[in-house]
Amino acid sequence: MDLTIEGLTHRYDAVEVLSDISLSIPSGRIVCIVGPSGCGKSTLLRMIGGLERPSAGRILQLGDPPADCLNPLTFVFQDFALLPWRSVAGNISLVLEDRAVSRKDRADRIADVLARTNLSDFANALPRQLSGGMKQRVAIARALAVNPAVMLMDEPLSALDAQTRELLMDDLVGLWTRTPFTAVYVTHNLSEAVRLGHKIVVLSRRPGRIREVVEIDTPLDQRDATDPDLARAQDHLWQLMREEAKAADAELAHG
Amino acid sequence: MTQFTRRNTLGLMAGAATLPMLGTPALANTKLVVGALPFTSHAASFVAYERGYFAEAGLDVEFKFFQAAQPMAVAIASGDADYAVTAISGGLISLAEKGATKVIGGALSEEKGIDGQKILASDAAFQAGLTSPAQLAGKKWAVTQAGSSFHYMGSKIAQAEGVEVAFTPLQKVGAIIGAMKSGQVDAWSIVPHIAKPLAGSGAVHIIGDVAVYIPDYQVTTVFTSATNAADERAKTEAFLAAFSKGADDFNAALVDKTAGEDAAEDMVKLIHKYVYTDREYEKAKPGIVNGAMRINAGAALNTTSVQDQLDWFKAEGLVKDSVTMDMLVDTSYVSTM
Amino acid sequence: MAEARQVPFRGGGFRPVQKRGVGLVVFVLLIAVVEWGTRAGWISSLTLPKPSDVARTLIGLWQSGLLMQHVLPSLSRLAVGSAMGVTAGIGIGVLIGLFSLARAGLVPLVAALFPIPKIALLPLFVIWFGIDEGSKYALIALGTFTPTVVATFGAVDNVDRTLIRMGQSFGLPWLSIVTKIVLPGALPGILSGLRISLSIGIILLVAAEMLGAQYGIGAYILEAGSLYDLERLFAGVVILSALGVTVSFLIGRVETRMLRWRS
Repeated sequence: MDLTIEGLTHRYDAVEVLSDISLSIPSGRIVCIVGPSGCGKSTLLRMIGGLERPSAGRILQLGDPPADCLNPLTFVFQDFALLPWRSVAGNISLVLEDRAVSRKDRADRIADVLARTNLSDFANALPRQLSGGMKQRVAIARALAVNPAVMLMDEPLSALDAQTRELLMDDLVGLWTRTPFTAVYVTHNLSEAVRLGHKIVVLSRRPGRIREVVEIDTPLDQRDATDPDLARAQDHLWQLMREEAKAADAELAHG
Repeated sequence: MTQFTRRNTLGLMAGAATLPMLGTPALANTKLVVGALPFTSHAASFVAYERGYFAEAGLDVEFKFFQAAQPMAVAIASGDADYAVTAISGGLISLAEKGATKVIGGALSEEKGIDGQKILASDAAFQAGLTSPAQLAGKKWAVTQAGSSFHYMGSKIAQAEGVEVAFTPLQKVGAIIGAMKSGQVDAWSIVPHIAKPLAGSGAVHIIGDVAVYIPDYQVTTVFTSATNAADERAKTEAFLAAFSKGADDFNAALVDKTAGEDAAEDMVKLIHKYVYTDREYEKAKPGIVNGAMRINAGAALNTTSVQDQLDWFKAEGLVKDSVTMDMLVDTSYVSTM
Repeated sequence: MAEARQVPFRGGGFRPVQKRGVGLVVFVLLIAVVEWGTRAGWISSLTLPKPSDVARTLIGLWQSGLLMQHVLPSLSRLAVGSAMGVTAGIGIGVLIGLFSLARAGLVPLVAALFPIPKIALLPLFVIWFGIDEGSKYALIALGTFTPTVVATFGAVDNVDRTLIRMGQSFGLPWLSIVTKIVLPGALPGILSGLRISLSIGIILLVAAEMLGAQYGIGAYILEAGSLYDLERLFAGVVILSALGVTVSFLIGRVETRMLRWRS
């Protein structure tokens, strides 16, 4: 299933936050959206996922989601959004309980995603017992459990420290390599973008417009931090964003 | 129309006995606080104040008004009031037991031939057959609090009829009246000036007289702090003398009706300054006249009745068994019966 | 060469540390002082009763069976009244938390009800619900209702919105979002509100037993007060305090059981 965004514009009252965004999200690819603070990238993601209504423009699904998909557009949140009163398995179970899924199928799905995210040993742990990285893996496992057509990831690694972030990026690359998934990945971290994105969309400061779309062809599992092509891509992105970020920063300070 | 009952005669004698004290204490502007309820039963103090009897005795009296009898006893114990008139309650006896208060004289009395306290039935209970105190078995008898005079009366009446009643505490007279009108409680006893208008409205029915069950009931007494009784003899005597004079005027005007129509009218007007002040004079008058029960002349005290009440409180377990008449009463001030 | 000095420590205090038993010592000490004072006579019997006499009164109450005769009616009044008030309070509180219309309509009403001294309404309740148990239940129910409503809708408001968005993003039905996310998330706030509500319930017990109660701890205390019987008055107060401590302990147990997920 592909997604297409056509002429999307959004305002809060009189303030325009997103302006004329058109974009396609092809199946099996990770599209990263980067941009300075306040450029509306998270808003854009919520609109793609149907949690917010744009002022103008449309978001279209092309084709049908896979047959066993329970929730085509599935979010992974920056702050994990785990229910603290439910165990790891319980948190995953939550999103399956109201679906026409047999008890056995549910248990199978839970076991499967826990195995894929290396969490099988922690099925009965409560969120408060887990580190930040583990919590985000639980959130990713929960997203995988509904077999989404598109994963909408809203700065999923921003709340984590640098080392954990590296580890989780490896995990995500591993997951994608084994079973490619479609994702829209919002981040302000350029190294995450060049590491995980097949396509990197750079937004300008408010109102957010598409400055440039950068494609990186290196397969995900062959990207590493020392790759000069990636370094060049990241530098290019930074040049694009630098002035915007500076201006956005000043704007926020005044505003 | 003067009836010479035993009480009356005794009262007159006692009144005469106190007369010589009037001139003797040379108290110059002694300040004192008198606790009172805005009821006709407290009229003796009002009369003594309005007619200057307190001032003549060298007493500079200030009234402190209360809504119930029990807090007055506490106010005497705490020294916030010097003298007061109230029914003998459990609280008063307990405070006397702790050496805080003393009964020094008698005030309101039940007396045959004078309209006294009435036994009331709510309309609902009356319609259901409660037409005389004999049918009180199992009924709800309203009291303000346990150990109040209402409790004593209800208990004595039930005892005399050989029945059991359920005592229902409602804290305030106002609340009892409401509960009687709405039929939440079945029976109650109260002074005539409250009983008669209520019965007149049809909301309640008078089914008997308290005096039949508790003859010579010493309803209220004059009391003070133990310190005043023991150490302030001159002041206490002066107060009692002025109080008695007020009581004599009141009895003559409204109870014995020997003073004539004009005096009665004047008396009602005087009392109206303190009682039913929220009503017009014409409306207040019947209430005041109806509420006129004898205030013992010379503040004589019916110790037999007091003893009976004390015994009842003890028997009910409301006060300690160790309380004696000596703890409760100082009989050195007035004549006793 | 500059002389070496140790950096002085200045970070002490301002950190509550659990000290076991101190509370008990203060308590015992206070009672001992009162006992000494009343025995020696520098506290008059009009001011305070002898603690030992209060204890004797309590024992006497226990032995005569009067204790249960007073405690049981009070407990049932507290249980029935607060069960009604708390249930209605949680229900209305959740409605206010979830629906803007309910919020707009009911919050001002609750704000108007909250500061009313419920005791003032007692005579009215007697007319409405009868002088027997009905008016007592109603008084305690109303008294526990308002704080429960306020605590509940506050707790619902404080449920992490990202959790609710998460539920919506996974396509959870409305009812599941309420029962699986909102209610468990609001539970800590509701339970701490319950502590206050039930304390108010105990306070109102005394008020409720002002009218028409022959038995009950409140009636017992009021009777002792009107008789100026300090031993009984304090014995009743001790029973009420014990009731308060017990209720608070029970809520604490429920909290540790149901909120084990909290750190």
